[in-house]
Amino acid sequence: MNFFKTKTSSPKVEGRVEGVFKVTGTGKYSAEYHLDGMTYAVIVGSTVPAGRIESIQLDQAKQVEGVLDILTHQNRPQIPAFATKEKLDKSGYSLPVLHTDQIYFKGQPIALVVATTLEDAMYAASLVTATYRKTTANVDFDGSHKGVDAEPFGKERGTMAAWASAPHVAEAEYTIRHEVHNPMEMHATIATWHAPGKLKLYDKTQGVNSVQQTVSRLWEMPKENVEVISEFMGGGFGSGLKVWPNVPLAIMASSQLKRPVKLVLTRPQMFTLVGYRPQSWQKVRIGADKSGKFTGIWHQAKHATAIYDNFNEGIVRISRMLYDVKNIKTEFATVPLNLSAPTWMRGPGDCTGAFALESAVDELSYVLKMDPVQLRLQNLALRIDPDTGKPWSTNYMGECVTKGAEMIGWGDRKALPGTVKDGDWQIGYGMAVGMWFAGRQKASAAIRLDKDGVITVETAMTDIGTGTGTAMQNIAHEYLGIPKEKIKVKLGQSTLPPAPSQGGSTGLSSLSGAVTAACEAFKSKMDAYASTAGEQSSPANYSLIMQKNKLTEVLAEASSGPGEEQKKYAFCSGAAHFCKVKVHSKTGKVKVEKMASVVDAGHIVNQQAAANQVSGAAVGGIGMALSEEQLTDNRYGCLVGNDLAGYHFAVNADAPIIDVDFIHKTDVNINPTGSKGVGEVGIIGTAAAIANAIYNATGKRLRDLPITPDKVLLS
Amino acid sequence: MKPFDLLRPSSIAKAISAKQSQVQFLAGGTNLVDLMKKHIATPDALLDVTPILSSQITGSTETLLIGAAVKNSSAAMDKLVLSSYPLIAKAILAGASPQIRNMASTAGNLLQRTRCPYFYDTTLPCNKRNPGEGCGMREGESRMGAIIGHSEHCVAVHPSDLCIALAALDAEVLYTIAGEKKPMVIPFKDFHRLPGDAPEKDNNLPQNALITGVRIPKNPFSKNYAYVKLRDRDSYAFALVSVAAALHLQGDRIVEARLASGGVAHKPWRWYQAENFLKGKIPSAEVFAEAAALAADETNPLVGNAFKKLMLKGAIEVALQNCLTA
Amino acid sequence: MEQPKISRRFFVSISAMAGAFAFIPASVKSAYISAKNLFIPQKRALPLSVSINKKLYKLQQDTRTTLLDLLREELQLTGSKKGCDHGQCGACTVHVDGERVLSCLTLAAMVQGKEVTTIEGLANGDELHPMQKAFVECDGFQCGYCTPGQIMSAVACVKEGHTGSVEEIKEFMSGNLCRCGAYNGIVKSIQQVAQ
Repeated sequence: MNFFKTKTSSPKVEGRVEGVFKVTGTGKYSAEYHLDGMTYAVIVGSTVPAGRIESIQLDQAKQVEGVLDILTHQNRPQIPAFATKEKLDKSGYSLPVLHTDQIYFKGQPIALVVATTLEDAMYAASLVTATYRKTTANVDFDGSHKGVDAEPFGKERGTMAAWASAPHVAEAEYTIRHEVHNPMEMHATIATWHAPGKLKLYDKTQGVNSVQQTVSRLWEMPKENVEVISEFMGGGFGSGLKVWPNVPLAIMASSQLKRPVKLVLTRPQMFTLVGYRPQSWQKVRIGADKSGKFTGIWHQAKHATAIYDNFNEGIVRISRMLYDVKNIKTEFATVPLNLSAPTWMRGPGDCTGAFALESAVDELSYVLKMDPVQLRLQNLALRIDPDTGKPWSTNYMGECVTKGAEMIGWGDRKALPGTVKDGDWQIGYGMAVGMWFAGRQKASAAIRLDKDGVITVETAMTDIGTGTGTAMQNIAHEYLGIPKEKIKVKLGQSTLPPAPSQGGSTGLSSLSGAVTAACEAFKSKMDAYASTAGEQSSPANYSLIMQKNKLTEVLAEASSGPGEEQKKYAFCSGAAHFCKVKVHSKTGKVKVEKMASVVDAGHIVNQQAAANQVSGAAVGGIGMALSEEQLTDNRYGCLVGNDLAGYHFAVNADAPIIDVDFIHKTDVNINPTGSKGVGEVGIIGTAAAIANAIYNATGKRLRDLPITPDKVLLS
Repeated sequence: MKPFDLLRPSSIAKAISAKQSQVQFLAGGTNLVDLMKKHIATPDALLDVTPILSSQITGSTETLLIGAAVKNSSAAMDKLVLSSYPLIAKAILAGASPQIRNMASTAGNLLQRTRCPYFYDTTLPCNKRNPGEGCGMREGESRMGAIIGHSEHCVAVHPSDLCIALAALDAEVLYTIAGEKKPMVIPFKDFHRLPGDAPEKDNNLPQNALITGVRIPKNPFSKNYAYVKLRDRDSYAFALVSVAAALHLQGDRIVEARLASGGVAHKPWRWYQAENFLKGKIPSAEVFAEAAALAADETNPLVGNAFKKLMLKGAIEVALQNCLTA
Repeated sequence: MEQPKISRRFFVSISAMAGAFAFIPASVKSAYISAKNLFIPQKRALPLSVSINKKLYKLQQDTRTTLLDLLREELQLTGSKKGCDHGQCGACTVHVDGERVLSCLTLAAMVQGKEVTTIEGLANGDELHPMQKAFVECDGFQCGYCTPGQIMSAVACVKEGHTGSVEEIKEFMSGNLCRCGAYNGIVKSIQQVAQ
């Protein structure tokens, strides 16, 4: 029997491997597992941004029916790694949640109410109050960064003096407000000590192994005793790369109660407990000679961070690698505030940096009276990574630029700003480029063939929506020659072959090597069994080979990671973003009418899913450019507004149908499939493209994101 | 949420007699349930009034009557509304989302509370939520705040879109109250109130009264009308500034004009000066700009929302212009 | 003003507390309310009969339970998603009596006697609803978390006839946020089904 020729009952539709689970609501996200004896936990946050807890009043909350326990810093079980100051410092975990009376930011967890129903827990949480010894708080980035000097970031190349008298210079300051990831699924953890010393976590994370490691480190227990499951993950964009307080809180509560505990953050808590893109200030000075060749870039940047967690995301990095320029100076600093810790958010650092750099390049193009497309083509560093001096393995950004210009109809752009009108609307075109360091990490995968002829590709990596599972299926299909409907995918569990977190556009790049290696190992195994059985080794004979060897299952696991190629080459993904906007001269309304993104990310394993990621990133870029902004109020030391009615990321109506295309040229050096990530480059540069288009439409240069209608009107 | 009873009175009279300050009427729930989740509203009991209130839209030659329980989406799709009172449909469709419009009732829309972030965050001061606590927005992030009719105690704005159209069309709010047999009436312009020194009160509806419907007099504005809403995204967002405009044109002249705005005050705001100015004028961009300037000049923006004055002026011009092409 | 009295016979359901409350003189009552910070009310349950995906449920439900929490936490129908719990994202969209509504702002008690359809009830056995099929084929999602809400909304959008243009679809689908930004595929799915 050739079991790859027998029909299977599914799938009935062509699409992602997990598609049917998602459209029928049967895929289980972290908060959706039901365990016997489940309890519900709700976090109570501090109402002051700085100081010490004097007392916590629990009397009222304890009277609420159904309340099982309330954890505070005074009664919670000890997290071993927080036992002493020294241990805490060594733990690498910045917020000793419920292990301190110190308040670092408003909303910091001070208590955890656990009850038999969610309704009871929510109500009881509203009754917990505390008194504090308040101290002065500062959440004012604008007012504070001026007192912080930027320090050298990376080695200065050339000198500032060399281009001091550049004939053409653009220089300006750029600012971006605090942005929040806000994935649709709220962070959630179900913790259960299901056997003595054995912990199981259903957690919303971009990396189950990373949660496993952190938790085993904090509880000083063997990794094997911590099982982490994140089969379906409702979006992360970076917020799922760290282990946030919800994880230790749920574990502590489960220890205390000896019952499973479900802890789902509320949407307001999503604004203060799982990171954000920090507010930033940048200054870029860029010079060019008469021909438009860049002679120097000076890029300074500062962004906010927390006083207890010095997160930094080197936002000047992109200026060091994008353009071929002899003289470059980059400086950077963080500004500690009484806010929760920021973290990586889609295109971290570079997305922020690209707004400033690509706006400045656009400003320079008008100074030079040169077409911005031409200016990029003339200056992009397409052969050598200027920062490392290594040759790019592949870099087709020039082709991205040329193709994108065609797609948007760049020829219709008028060089002189503010000249194209349609009634009260002003129309303009803008473009920008984006680049992301194409990383690859060590990853493992397994191929399992069962007695029914079903192949399962297994890895611990989570699929946060990028299409990892489908890509794994595609790669195994291409490599093994087995029909796709016979290839299943299993992922997001720490018991599966280890893999890095899915983030930084490294998921597929890392995993594709592991899957091909596992396929190779599997083939060798089958070859060996085939020769024992005296059969030819081919999928058509696998059934026979297994029978003759009396096998019920064949399993092959392999790892793969970066190697010598990393010494020889620099790797990047690149993109060019183009857009056409219209701006209403009387109301300040900006409408993105058309948007086109062209991406160079090597071999595209799954065109539809990759295009979806890129268009989705462009939608993210529209939000970043025009509406995403988290306000703060320094008088109260906190955020103002913490919901999706006030934090405006783009709705369907805000985005045009985004045109996406790829260069489709394999990077043969990076990994066996020649594929690189697309998730970050999709957004890097988009906000600048939109701001540049607004300038072309109106002659108004807007350097403070988001460009809400008020800013357009007042400029 | 605080535990509460859910009661189902079998008639309007019974509902009214059961109403007390700690007992609230529940209709669509789109605002009240949210406020209860936030512990901003903490009633001891809810009276489910949807089944006993009218969900009919009826019209005579003189008026349109929208029952209190009519869903926003039903009103926006109603043939009579679309043919004779289309400004109402236009305003409704500019608000919320299709799902919320399928739930939200007409009366509830009138009673929805401000979306001021200082009101919504119970850890921040707000006189409307907690009288005497101070106004957080006034000296704070006041981008979404009022530019007219505000007081030192409150700068919140009324969030509805439907109400802006109802204000423009001189609607009336019908209600009943214990001891009164006849339906009582409040002209729409007097229904919502300015914050003054009692911002906790959103409107002048007598305590424990139940809204039964909204009446809109017949009007000549079914041809030239517009609703312009400016917000931070293209849909599903509260207004920075909105304008309901309607013109009655005869020959080449404006016989009568109506202009009302949302996002600018604690209540739907009528621009009477601008309306009077437009009377008898021949429509033109210049005339519209002048009318818009008259309205904008009445405003008194806060430190953080001076842009709204410019935006209002632009929005009125666009709305009036759109009246001609509607 | 005289306090109105509540009489038990006025109500289909009434609790002892609100009833008792009504007979307390106003002066005493206001003192009682000011002291209520120390008084923790007990939760109340109501009988609830509702049809969900054509199955009749007879439950005894906490008055505070929303339809969304009833589905997710009590009935393990976790297809309807909690994205904000405040009516600001659309992930919890279900149909009540055939119309799309937000289950997070709907108290379970408000669907008494009604017909609720969730994403789990959309397919006909193993046969996907055309909209579900279209979402898979057009890749109308990435992480999939907003997807059940998008699909329930999309089915209603087609039924309501709001599919005349890309702009109309976009406007009438704007009550369903997608942070992955899969709007290209969502619009395409709806166009495919509307044809």
